Amino acid sequence: MVRVITAKTGQYALVLLIALALNFLLPRAMGGDPLQFIVGEDIGRLTPEERDTIRREYGLDLPLYTQFGNYLGDVLQGDLGWSISKKAPIGDVLKQRIPITLLLTGSALVLSTIIGVALGAFAAWRRGRRSDVATLTVFMFLESMPAFWVGMLLIAIFSVNLRILPIFGFETPYIRYEGLSKVGDIAKHLILPVTTLTIVSISAMFLTARYSMLTVLGEDYITVARSKGIHERWILFRHALRNALLPVATLFMLRVGFVFSGAVVVETVFSYPGLGRLIFEAVVARDYPLLQAGFIIATFTVVAANLLVEFVYPMLDPRVRAHG
Amino acid sequence: MASPPITLPLPARTTRVPRPSKLTITGVLLVGSIAFAAVFAPFVAPYDPTQGVGLPFERPSAKHILGTNDIGQDIFSEMVWGARVSLTVGLLAALVATVIGTLVGLISGYFRGVADAFLMRTVDVILALPFLPLMILLAAFLGPSILTIVIVVGLVSWARPSRVIRSLVMSLGARDYITAARGLGAGDVRIIVRHLLPGTIALMVVEFVQAAAGAILIESSLSFLGLGDPIQKSWGSILYYAQARSAFLSGAWTYWVIPPGVAITMTVLGLAFIAFSLERFANPRLVKR
Repeated sequence: MVRVITAKTGQYALVLLIALALNFLLPRAMGGDPLQFIVGEDIGRLTPEERDTIRREYGLDLPLYTQFGNYLGDVLQGDLGWSISKKAPIGDVLKQRIPITLLLTGSALVLSTIIGVALGAFAAWRRGRRSDVATLTVFMFLESMPAFWVGMLLIAIFSVNLRILPIFGFETPYIRYEGLSKVGDIAKHLILPVTTLTIVSISAMFLTARYSMLTVLGEDYITVARSKGIHERWILFRHALRNALLPVATLFMLRVGFVFSGAVVVETVFSYPGLGRLIFEAVVARDYPLLQAGFIIATFTVVAANLLVEFVYPMLDPRVRAHG
Repeated sequence: MASPPITLPLPARTTRVPRPSKLTITGVLLVGSIAFAAVFAPFVAPYDPTQGVGLPFERPSAKHILGTNDIGQDIFSEMVWGARVSLTVGLLAALVATVIGTLVGLISGYFRGVADAFLMRTVDVILALPFLPLMILLAAFLGPSILTIVIVVGLVSWARPSRVIRSLVMSLGARDYITAARGLGAGDVRIIVRHLLPGTIALMVVEFVQAAAGAILIESSLSFLGLGDPIQKSWGSILYYAQARSAFLSGAWTYWVIPPGVAITMTVLGLAFIAFSLERFANPRLVKR
């Protein structure tokens, strides 16, 4: 067990290292001056002397492997560099944005899990009937819609035409709410983006829950329970659902890893000031260091979530523990 | 995120050539109509989508059935030509992904050992990288063009097909006819090309269709974020301009925002239906004995 975890940790450390190497190599492999990716469009206004100074400051005159070593050292110490467009250390910018994204994607994750599992279990229980096939088609449809488009439609309907929900942002600008009304204001701004994320991400949850419930319902111990005359609802909730939840729990933990990557387009549509919107702003401003930092945070989260699964799954499922 | 395979109750006995289901027909009709518009774009589209042919922000009329955009271009014509761009990107990226995936799957599943270990670890690494941020990063550095998107999407999407094809090749490789071919003195290349490759074609098609659906969605996201080709407008870029000009704040959303999204959804859903129908015949894991 310990050996497996060490091997897995090593493998995920490798993923991080590759992501960092990609970050390091991209600006240098593009042919042009890597300086251009650090100072952005200002490069045209710099004198050759100024360029040399900045190059020395960033260590761009050192050999490549020393540069890479320095880069790794900086990132490990939490120094992600300087954002050109925000004119601030990237670490500080991220600190503001991350909790906002976590609030948004966390709510959507919990919501899509609860609804997805409930519907999935129900669909499995009524498998093969007309309603089961119809639900499957509906979920395939939900999965086919682009997330940003769903967001645009919701804004057009609920914010512009019905005027019941705010159009954009984390809270109402220029008005200082206190206490409960502040919470209410934030919650109101949360409804549409959370709904959008839930709509586009619920399918995987539903399909996993349905599939795993179908598998469990076909197991012998369920047949035994039925033959003992145990009530169908009791079998469903006490015997089947508990085991069927294992893959759902795994998917949930893996999804935690994608809290930042899933938010990019939705936060862009709603101008929701989280990490996803920040990545978009970095693209628009051609702020490459900021973009790279966003990529590293997203990768780190995915890797951390994968590791979490490796550690937690054996605790949830004793069968794995016995073999491990 | 990989969804688990969907199993529907199979009919008691499938005949040799199964009749296409309603789902299959719907899928083919959806994708077929979009493909028709894409192929015959010059005849289907009433105007040149790159020219201002009306006033800005015209409402739908007999002249412009979906109105005009902020610089007076005909939105319906943009949609028709956008079908070309979106489909081309989707199909080419899927082609890149399927070819690499099949190659890796064949090598990995046939030779096993060190090659397999190395390739599958590579797959693990790719699958553990956050998909969209990676694409955004690559697209931002490589510059926006159709070619960039095709290569980037293709290079990141081959991991899943390669895994599926590998497991099929492993199960095919253990069959008697492969042992017989080897006994008759067939070399590795001959066995792979003549005996294993044909067996994987059905699965390749499924993976191709699924990759195409994914690539079309990803392309729309990248274009929507302003990373699409600025010259070749796709459905995603139409929505990018609609968003940038706040089309959903005015009545324009009904004819500027809804149609491109419907087109994307129709295409992706159609491809998903086709893949779903094909999978039941191609994926040995789903065939009940």
